[in-house]
Amino acid sequence: MSIIEIKDLRKTYGDNAVLKGIDLNIEAGQIVGYIGRNGAGKSTTIKILCGIISDFEGTISVMGMDVRKNALDIKQKTGYIPEQAALYELLTPVEYLRFSGKLYNMEDAAISSKTYELLRLFDLQDKADTRMTSFSKGMKQKVLLISGLLHNPEIIFLDEPLSGLDANAVILIKEILAQLKVAGKTIFYSSHIMDVVEKISDRIIIIDKGEVIADGSFEALKASAREGSLENIFTSLTGGTEQHRTTANEFINVLKR
Amino acid sequence: MDKLLLNFILFFAKSFLKQGVDFEKLKTIAGTYLLMDRRRTRVSMKMNTKKEPKNPLLITQIVYVFFGFLVATSFYEIRDIVPCMVILHSYILFMMAMTLITDFSTVLLDTKDNQIIIPRPVNSKTFFVARLVHILVYLLQFTIALAIVPLIFTFILFGAAVGLAAIVTVLLTVIFAIFFTYLLYGIILRLGSEEKIKEIISWAQIGLTVFFAVGYQIIPRLINYDALRNAVELHWYSYFLPPVWMAMTLQSLQQMYADGQHIVMILLAITGPVAAFWVMIKFIAPAFSRKIEAMGNSKTDTAAVSVTSLKKDRSLFDKVSSLVCTDITEQAGYDLTGKMTGRDKGFKIKFYPSLAYLLVFAFVFVFKSGKDFDTVWLTLPDSKLYLWLVYLPLFAITSAISLLPFTENFAASWLYMASPLYKPGSLITGGIKSLLVKFLFPMYIILLSFAFYVWGFTVADDFILGFFNCVSVFLLLSIIGKSYLPFSMEPNVQQQSGKIVQLVLQLIIVAILVGLHWLALSSAWLVALLIPLSAGGCLLLFRYIRNYSWNKISY
Repeated sequence: MSIIEIKDLRKTYGDNAVLKGIDLNIEAGQIVGYIGRNGAGKSTTIKILCGIISDFEGTISVMGMDVRKNALDIKQKTGYIPEQAALYELLTPVEYLRFSGKLYNMEDAAISSKTYELLRLFDLQDKADTRMTSFSKGMKQKVLLISGLLHNPEIIFLDEPLSGLDANAVILIKEILAQLKVAGKTIFYSSHIMDVVEKISDRIIIIDKGEVIADGSFEALKASAREGSLENIFTSLTGGTEQHRTTANEFINVLKR
Repeated sequence: MDKLLLNFILFFAKSFLKQGVDFEKLKTIAGTYLLMDRRRTRVSMKMNTKKEPKNPLLITQIVYVFFGFLVATSFYEIRDIVPCMVILHSYILFMMAMTLITDFSTVLLDTKDNQIIIPRPVNSKTFFVARLVHILVYLLQFTIALAIVPLIFTFILFGAAVGLAAIVTVLLTVIFAIFFTYLLYGIILRLGSEEKIKEIISWAQIGLTVFFAVGYQIIPRLINYDALRNAVELHWYSYFLPPVWMAMTLQSLQQMYADGQHIVMILLAITGPVAAFWVMIKFIAPAFSRKIEAMGNSKTDTAAVSVTSLKKDRSLFDKVSSLVCTDITEQAGYDLTGKMTGRDKGFKIKFYPSLAYLLVFAFVFVFKSGKDFDTVWLTLPDSKLYLWLVYLPLFAITSAISLLPFTENFAASWLYMASPLYKPGSLITGGIKSLLVKFLFPMYIILLSFAFYVWGFTVADDFILGFFNCVSVFLLLSIIGKSYLPFSMEPNVQQQSGKIVQLVLQLIIVAILVGLHWLALSSAWLVALLIPLSAGGCLLLFRYIRNYSWNKISY
């Protein structure tokens, strides 16, 4: 049975149709890479799956529960790491993680024992009690990751989790995601960094202009598109190659004026 | 105090809201909000230092208690209950509305909650009540700080019954302040955009800073206590003013008497806030929350500005650049400074209060004799007080020049280093010219118009000479000390140090200039002769700064 079932998902902002009928079934224990251009509808899909956006058309079931009727139960068992490092910067990492943990109904003792350990693993032990106003984007992203995983969720939704992270942190997170998969977690992962998606995903879904235009394992996509890398597959499927070449030509011509 | 108030409100909330609210999560959310409130730097402090105080909220509350004390002392002068209570309730209404707009807007308009709280298992009722409890605790803290001293004075002067009733009327006035703020935001969100709201908030913050900076200097001088001691006359519009309703209600209670007017006012004082609260809870707040939620989830809708419209929209300020600037680099400095001084909140919040100080100084210089307004006004044309007006703009523009290098977005100045700039001094002169055109010219036009009205056209040559003298002083001040490129440095505490020395230096320079100018007035032709000399000096100084090489620039 699928852990996530999406049927005819549609979402509009005013006159702008962002999602135009998405149908997906996600199996438990998979890492799903969800890729698309800016404005393709990736973040909107994730926000709907997490229960952040509730006005949409279609039906969604997560772990057998209707996302409209059982949003709270779904939220308790899922983790969400947003694209922008949205956190309360006036708090210290420890204060923020305690706050977050309590909202997931965690006991104080459990929060405390996990918080310092996880911060240490992300090299943030020295900053544990410093307000996050002075943190770099990468440091905030690390705190955000911990806050989304602290309650040990079954499904993890990640929206561009690697933005702003240094090379070491990217490698570490790739490894964490791989081990979470081994532990049976389901990961729904949206990113622009094709290289990472290509390497860690069991399944890759490409979305363009609110519609799924490709869905399958990297090997399957490679075979059907006859391209060598995910970046090339993506560009050829979204009709980008020719468009990019034209734009680049125009750019150079303007520079020459 | 916030923890005490939170527990107090939660105690009552528990008995009213039994179902659907998770009180553990409510306490966690509201408690975290209050913790952040304690750490948030307030607008009233932003102009002083960048260093974060330990508890900005407490310091603001102490300042508010002091303001309350100033208001309360006026009660002793006035003694009559109606004007005293009109002042008290107007002050509460104004201060609460301004506090809500300036400091609490960040909370009201925060879309972060959409990403932080909503993805977590918190039901909407708990979340809504947590926000409400937070707002209540926040407002109660400020209400107590603002009203405690005036209320004590009310108890002493007008009796315990009026004092107790005043606590209620103050709370009713706070409801009005919330209502007006929500109404204002509701209208703006309906008609405009999130950007428009931010712009209005920014101007309100500047307004409040100006009020803090100069209000305590000017307002006590403007109040005519004798007039206030007489009974306040009611007009048709008094029925639309909540502070008047509250004052008349309290008067009725004090005198145990109520005529038709009083009855209407009492009814308005009770039903007005209740109706406002109902409209707010029922219509404005939910619509407002929906809009904020939509703002957080919607895509950024940046209005596209076409190249042609940009070309068409060149203002007079932009057109002047080709007249006053000598090269393209200077023009770049001029354009950048023009745009940044209009958009950089840090600059505006520090500079506009200094403009307001012009008013204070003008007021102090003109009325320093202590005579009343009518006497001063009659003798003004025979005096030489216009010389002060000639040199007053020096205060404001000098502060603009000292602020010119600083911005929060200082890192963007990498562009200067990466560009093939041979003489970076042109950027500085461009920036200075921009400040002169944008701020000094308009100031001189206003002051000159006033001077023509009072002293006649004969003062024109004095203003022309004064203008060039002022420009020479700005340029000399920018030559003394380190030279920075416009908007290239991080604002810091060091920037603030030496302000007193700078102010004293300015006062001495102004006094010397006024003195010399006054001496020059003894001869009819001397002022006219000095004009080309002063203008020539300006040109030489501009050329000197323009020729700065990189060795002269600090970065």
